[in-house]
Amino acid sequence: MTISFNINGQPTSLDVDGDMPLLWVVRDMLDLKGTKFGCGKAACGACTLHVDGKAIRSCSYAVKYAEGKNITTIEGLSNGDQLHPVQQAWMEEIVPQCGYCQPGFMMATAALLSEIPNPTDEDIDNNIVNVCRCATYYRMRKAIHRAADIQSQNAKNQPS
Amino acid sequence: MKKTYRAYLASSLLLGILVFGFSTTTGEYLSEPKLPEKSKSTAAELTPEQAFDLMMEVLTHKRCVNCHPSDDYPRQGEDSHIHNFGVQRGPDNHGVAALQCQTCHQSENNNHAGVPGAPEWSLAPRKMAWQGLTRVEIARSMLNPDNNGGRTLEETVHHLTEHELVLWAWEPGVDANGTPREKPPVPKAEYIKAVKAWAAGGAPIPEE
Amino acid sequence: MSTPKPKKKFSRRKFIVRSTVGVGVAIGATYFTRPLWRRSIAGFVNSAELPYNGSTDEPRLWFEVTADNEVILNSPKVEMGQGTFTGLAQIAADELEVDIQQIKVIHAPTASGNIDGTSTGGSTSISSLWQPLRELAATMREMLKIEAAKQLGTDAAALTVKDGMVTHNGQTLTYGEIVKNVTEWEIPETPPLKDVSTYKFVGKPVPRVDLKDKVIGAPMFGMDASLPDMLYGAVVRSERIGATFVGADTSAAEKIPGVVKVVKEPDFVGVVATSQMAAEQAKQAIKAEWATERNWQSEDIEAMIKVGQGDPVTIQKTGRAKRILDNEEDVVTAEFASPIGAHAQMEPNGAVAHVEDDKATIIMSTQVVNLTRKEVADRLGLAPEDVNIIPTYLGGGFGRRLHTPNAVQAAVLSKAVGKPVKCFFNRREEFQNDTFRPPTHHVLRGVLDKQGKIKAIEHNLSSGDVMFGSPMFPGIAEPVLGADAGAWRGGMIQYGAIPNFRTVSWRVKLPFATSWWRSLGLLANTFAIESFMDELALKAGKDPVQFRLEHIQEDEAGHRLREVIKAAAEKAGWKDEVVNGRAMGFAASTDARTPCAQVAEVSIENGEIKVHKVTCAIDPGIAVNPDQVRAQCEGSIIMGQSAAMYERMFVKDGQLLPTIYGPYRMALMRDAPKEIDVVILENADAPGAVGEPPLGPIGAAIANAVFRLTGERLRSLPLAIA
Repeated sequence: MTISFNINGQPTSLDVDGDMPLLWVVRDMLDLKGTKFGCGKAACGACTLHVDGKAIRSCSYAVKYAEGKNITTIEGLSNGDQLHPVQQAWMEEIVPQCGYCQPGFMMATAALLSEIPNPTDEDIDNNIVNVCRCATYYRMRKAIHRAADIQSQNAKNQPS
Repeated sequence: MKKTYRAYLASSLLLGILVFGFSTTTGEYLSEPKLPEKSKSTAAELTPEQAFDLMMEVLTHKRCVNCHPSDDYPRQGEDSHIHNFGVQRGPDNHGVAALQCQTCHQSENNNHAGVPGAPEWSLAPRKMAWQGLTRVEIARSMLNPDNNGGRTLEETVHHLTEHELVLWAWEPGVDANGTPREKPPVPKAEYIKAVKAWAAGGAPIPEE
Repeated sequence: MSTPKPKKKFSRRKFIVRSTVGVGVAIGATYFTRPLWRRSIAGFVNSAELPYNGSTDEPRLWFEVTADNEVILNSPKVEMGQGTFTGLAQIAADELEVDIQQIKVIHAPTASGNIDGTSTGGSTSISSLWQPLRELAATMREMLKIEAAKQLGTDAAALTVKDGMVTHNGQTLTYGEIVKNVTEWEIPETPPLKDVSTYKFVGKPVPRVDLKDKVIGAPMFGMDASLPDMLYGAVVRSERIGATFVGADTSAAEKIPGVVKVVKEPDFVGVVATSQMAAEQAKQAIKAEWATERNWQSEDIEAMIKVGQGDPVTIQKTGRAKRILDNEEDVVTAEFASPIGAHAQMEPNGAVAHVEDDKATIIMSTQVVNLTRKEVADRLGLAPEDVNIIPTYLGGGFGRRLHTPNAVQAAVLSKAVGKPVKCFFNRREEFQNDTFRPPTHHVLRGVLDKQGKIKAIEHNLSSGDVMFGSPMFPGIAEPVLGADAGAWRGGMIQYGAIPNFRTVSWRVKLPFATSWWRSLGLLANTFAIESFMDELALKAGKDPVQFRLEHIQEDEAGHRLREVIKAAAEKAGWKDEVVNGRAMGFAASTDARTPCAQVAEVSIENGEIKVHKVTCAIDPGIAVNPDQVRAQCEGSIIMGQSAAMYERMFVKDGQLLPTIYGPYRMALMRDAPKEIDVVILENADAPGAVGEPPLGPIGAAIANAVFRLTGERLRSLPLAIA
């Protein structure tokens, strides 16, 4: 079937089996490799991207549901060369080790901050449940708080 | 007595054919749950009390109760363990800000991922908590407009027999290991008839 | 005049007899002193510094200067998160006289000729390349100066070098400009190295060189590799322990849309398709037949891993520990155990293979390029030089990828279809075909003297193999070492002032693959020993930190251990008491000469152990990048906590389970301590191990804290309140 949606702000139309997980569509058909395969069972979160701004685990999301939606991957989180506050904070705190799980975490965090701009530690515990084997959680927590700061600074600096 | 026996035989045969046909077409469902022994006869001859029994066998099954918890945590699996990863109810039963039910669960089962799905996948509100209640307590809760979202009996019957999320229990998909989930012990058609028979008979709830 | 003595006639018979006797005595002596030289070897191995096994005298294998004045560092070590690329860049930048921004580190394909002969692992990348890489970089710098001197018509000694530029009398040449005009390089003698204290980058918290790529989701991992016309493969793998492949019915698989070919080999069956989804579906449709001799259960494995079973080798012995412990009264005896552990790294194993008639290219995440090249070449009947392994950034290593034979299967599939094939494990396969951290069992005995100091201590440890059976080491390792150096890593008593101590390693060969899991035996052995030290301290009525300090010997290793113990205790504000429902637990270990001590602050909440804070002191010798040393400590602590508190594989009906995150519980954000303080000491003159040592103390530190809170000594991992 033909499925049409926006990917990182660009319209696209694909002829694809509607039951194909969005993860494979994004990685293999659209050649966007930032979204990762970790388990294929919605258990690890490495495949997290945004559908209409909401965090979705793309390995358990059939592409047919993407019809007419706005999909954002890690590649689309930044605005050209301008990194997203989450990415800026991730750089400042030097979070990644192997780096494989990090896009999923950043997408989950961006979704969190869009709903809860100033998350408490408990909010972070409840919302961020992806798996990181290198266990960079300690720096991630600091980066999430930092990202919230950067985001609120940006909001203050916006011309009203 | 004979008539009852013949009817029972007929319904068992019908069930057997359905089972066989179903299992050969899907290839997925390895075994159909047998009708428990206390089920007696076809719906056409159900007393409201018998209908209540059949209905409650379904509504107390894990496929339903897993998402009717009395606390903030869905259950999952055949052993009804607390859902992995600490997912929780959230302010409106759909999870929390960046971890909604829809983050993983869509409107259909995803058998690649072993993630179940149905439209409006979410927890039943706290007022519809069934976990830890007896079947009589559950039934009373179901009929109480304060608990059931202000529904009339007719609306409750409609919900119980037509809502996609409820009927999901008979097509629950496979888990992460590819193992089919156990279905309720009463076939869907029998259950639907039982609910209607129960309501038609005045929705009696036994004293227990 | 005396009669000349007659010349002795050479007696062949006497020669043969005497030689035979001599050889016999030598063999006998070797055999009977075998335990003695095995202990010496074990002692040596325990603190040895493994040298780098590859070319270290040809700078052009390592550095390429580009026209843009960048320096490409062709690294034979792979980057799997441990920060090696950044450390190597810092080391090279300082001796090469370039800014760190000018260095681009890439993974060396085997075709480049810069091949690591063993592996990336064992926390040895920086320590083994510290000297060679500085020398290579210094030599490269001199080579550039010699060339610049020629081009500027002067002497090399008259040149000033800085930030990749050479200056003389107002004239400047960048390295990029110099290399354009080189006809033949002159390679000088290795110049003297700079003093470490003058380094601009080494010793500084330089941001990771791969940071930006990892934050923008660059396609840098093996799983992200892609070649034109690439297809997708899947291989049917065993789900049961000890299963051998008999055959397969592939008729259903062949009909799945998108399937290009079903490939049947004597030892496996696979499928190639036009999409990942189709390959998976086709694989599910293959009915494979496996022969299994036995239906293994967890109890079977637990019964095998018991001190007293299998082959014992005494790897450490001072004084008469056994005799004392066998005869004294008031001996404390304790048992400990740890479960099978999965690597569970986030990127599954896989490869993109492209096999053509006379050559093969494999792009993949691996820790063993050299071994993999050989295995692929052997299977394809090619010379190793005709196989190019292109390593990528790894989505986690942890020892999982110290053997990557899946490259062979990807290559076979590619050859069968004549196109590139991407073939990787799904998560279930990744779990069930892991080379696990082996389960262990420990029995410790100890007795105190009248002053409450340890008079004798003995550690018996039983474990599945780590090193034995790994294709990285030739079969000679077993008979020579006797005991598996990976299994007993961290198992020796590090408190050298105890007058009598003994460590015995019991080797058990399990029916499934066990091998290298980050820090090897250190995690389980330290849990056992450091829990036991706490028990003895309690019996002596002494503070656990003081108790440990009392038993440290006076030498360099002892000094370094003493300093980290003191530093950790001081930074944590160590006190051996429960305050507001929280208690501290202490533990320390020495791994590959790097001592590490930790204090865990723990409470019990709703029947669950909660780790609030960990204070860690570590002495890596020289911290090439203090920020990354800190990061390795943070990560190791939480990974160690995860293994100590949550992780456990079990065996049911021949299957290793579970096979998915969630059921295989691991530490998540909510479980990680909210505070981690790391103190770095530098009490040696070269960088040592960092990536694994901090995994040692955390299990015992948590368990010791739990004891303070509940009075209950937890003796098995994963730790759980009953």
